[in-house]
Amino acid sequence: MKKSLYMGVAAMALGTVAQAEQLTVFGTWLGEEQVTVEMVLADFAAKSGHDVSYVGSDSFEQQILIDAEAGSAPNIAVFPQPGLASDMAGRGFLTPLRDGVGDWIVDNYAAGQSWVDLATYNDPDGAANLYGIFFRVDVKSLVWYSPENFEDAGYDIPTSMEDLKALTDQIVADGGTPWCIGLGSGAATGWPATDWVEEMMLRTQAPDVYDRWVSNEMPFTDPAVVGAIEEFGAFARNDAYVAGGAGAVASTDFRDSPKGLFSSPPQCYMHRQASFIPAFFPEGTVVGEDADFFYFPAYADKDLGSPVLGAGTVWTITNENEAAHELIEYIKTTDAHEIWMGRGGFLTPHKGVDTSKFLDEATKKMNDVLLAATTFRFDGSDLMPGAVGAGSFWTGMVDYAGGKDAAEVAEGIQQSWDAIK
Amino acid sequence: MDNIAGKKSGLSWAVNLSVALLVMLWLFPTAGLFVSSFRTADQISSNGWWQSLFVSEQNVVLRSADPDDEGVQLLVDGVYTVQGNLYGEAGKSEILVWGTTSREIDTYTAGETADLGDGETITVQANGDYVWTGTTEMTGRGQRVFATAATPPEFTFENYRNMLFDESNVEGMAKAFFNTLTVTIPATIIPIMIAAFAAYALAWMDFPGRAILVAIVVGLLVVPLQLALIPLLRLHLGIGIGKGYLGVWLAHTGFGLPLAIYLLRNYMVGLPRDIIENAKVDGATDFQIFTKIILPLSFPALASFAIFQFLWTWNDLLVAKVFLIDSTGETTVMTNQIVELLGTRGGNWEILATAAFVSISVPLVVFFAMQKYLVRGLLAGSVK
Repeated sequence: MKKSLYMGVAAMALGTVAQAEQLTVFGTWLGEEQVTVEMVLADFAAKSGHDVSYVGSDSFEQQILIDAEAGSAPNIAVFPQPGLASDMAGRGFLTPLRDGVGDWIVDNYAAGQSWVDLATYNDPDGAANLYGIFFRVDVKSLVWYSPENFEDAGYDIPTSMEDLKALTDQIVADGGTPWCIGLGSGAATGWPATDWVEEMMLRTQAPDVYDRWVSNEMPFTDPAVVGAIEEFGAFARNDAYVAGGAGAVASTDFRDSPKGLFSSPPQCYMHRQASFIPAFFPEGTVVGEDADFFYFPAYADKDLGSPVLGAGTVWTITNENEAAHELIEYIKTTDAHEIWMGRGGFLTPHKGVDTSKFLDEATKKMNDVLLAATTFRFDGSDLMPGAVGAGSFWTGMVDYAGGKDAAEVAEGIQQSWDAIK
Repeated sequence: MDNIAGKKSGLSWAVNLSVALLVMLWLFPTAGLFVSSFRTADQISSNGWWQSLFVSEQNVVLRSADPDDEGVQLLVDGVYTVQGNLYGEAGKSEILVWGTTSREIDTYTAGETADLGDGETITVQANGDYVWTGTTEMTGRGQRVFATAATPPEFTFENYRNMLFDESNVEGMAKAFFNTLTVTIPATIIPIMIAAFAAYALAWMDFPGRAILVAIVVGLLVVPLQLALIPLLRLHLGIGIGKGYLGVWLAHTGFGLPLAIYLLRNYMVGLPRDIIENAKVDGATDFQIFTKIILPLSFPALASFAIFQFLWTWNDLLVAKVFLIDSTGETTVMTNQIVELLGTRGGNWEILATAAFVSISVPLVVFFAMQKYLVRGLLAGSVK
């Protein structure tokens, strides 16, 4: 009798094992970040009993298309660009998330509705569905500097764009170079400049103008856009403002350009870049001591609040199975967020997380920038169609940094957009 | 009678010199990569590899010990004192001039004393020894010293250690190494076997349409393989091969065959007709001629194609990514592993340089083991 009971228990145990599924996750993280994401997935695997594996690739954008086209897609794909996810949804490669996920995001994420909107795409029949959940966010509106160099020179942190411009002139008057700007990034050369233009759009125009620009209801050639490009040019095309002169902007690698902050004598005093950039600071640099950041300020006289530009990765189901839906459920838990928070380089709009779990004060401060935003907008170039947002916009900005006229550059980008409509 | 054959030209020095120059030009980037593989990421981004070979003047930011740390600050004769060496221990670098703020980095020469205000002074010696004193207790972080120092060349095995022995990499690299061999060896042998048969048939067996077949094979040489990637992958998935070793062997075989057949056929056509006709008269079958006469005679061509195909499959990333590497990550290859070592945003150049030399080692062994055939094989089909 007892024996049969044991056998029954054993059979039940086997039953649950049989339900364990293989779950494959595909994303862009490599190296240290791969170790971190694998830790999060290992926690999920331990809790769910599924067999989870993660693969990262530097050519994610191409490979996910090949795999989806050929029918060998992973279960979960983690897109850095919602624009690409939207394309894939429109071609029927994504599976909508279950009902209720959207409501949960609205309730539990800061600015929840905007995260839902960013992951809601049309399926091949034109019906809108929620296809993804954002997990891991980057803030872009940050200016990095060396506090000790600021102290040596007696500079204060600017709180408005007017102050920032005055400080820029002040540094030049004192014989220094204010900015390090580098656009080089291999095949993606130009993208840091698109961030600059997006920041300037948010600081010179209302958020709805930004939205109309990103969806191309308002053409690239609009004076508002050309004006934003020229605002970027005011910094990047002034030989006295940038390390190495304006000619060096397009040819300097974005990974090398922040190193100028720490050289002796300093090549520059400020560097505008997203929250991930400390990975490229010289070895041993401590954020909060050797390097720090301030919010890239808005114009005081424009009354546009404090806009924040950001980016993030959206987790979608590209090959449906039960484990994939369970992983989406798991991402809703604070555990998933807190594991990564403890490893650094992770910001989250999840309102329920324990902020003491952030690795350091700096990350916490960044998250505060994110939560203090009156306007949050997603990186526009990641929302535009690939041919523009990861193509002509990049190359156009390289041309602009090289001296081409802003209106002419905008005209060229708009033509490439018209061509794919 | 100046131009008789066999007389050494007076210009042979020019030939030798230009050959030496070409070889240097060819080796120059490799040498740079090799030097870079022994440097840290910060060194690579701060100056060029050619500068790293000599003593160079570098501007560096150094920092004294933190006075807040326990036991660092001592009260000597009523003066608060922090002392030590800016390099941690007396290094080989020699400080020439130095300063205490980022605005003035060359105010003092080695051995001079700087007045920091508030009763604090700091003295820095050429070897990096410093004495930092104050009339009141010093707080805050360590004092920054901006030094211009003559720095001797410095190299590290850290990159190689990191790549070959680091626990987080070594498992992946070992797996990738054996996976690459699993891809490469069959992907070299299968096309040679098929191509040798085909080449013999196209060279020595009479059948209608032979010339057209040869023309088609030559035509296929110019078709870029990228055209076939997605249709072929769909076919593999459709017939149930899926992504895996069988698929990548077939793909490499297909993509390698036109060149293999073309190369081997041209070589076999050039073999002496008499031998083959003699063998036929003696009653040898085509298969006997092929195995007993043609194959041994074609060995240089077979070996040279084997080297080509081996190098190409070893270094291949595209075909492996499309036909082999699936989302479980179990079937990664060396090239893919190396690309991944570059990091999410592709900044780890020092790893790339190192990985290139690790990856190159196997093809180098193959090449030097078989190089005498390569030269002979390269001349395959040329005028005798």
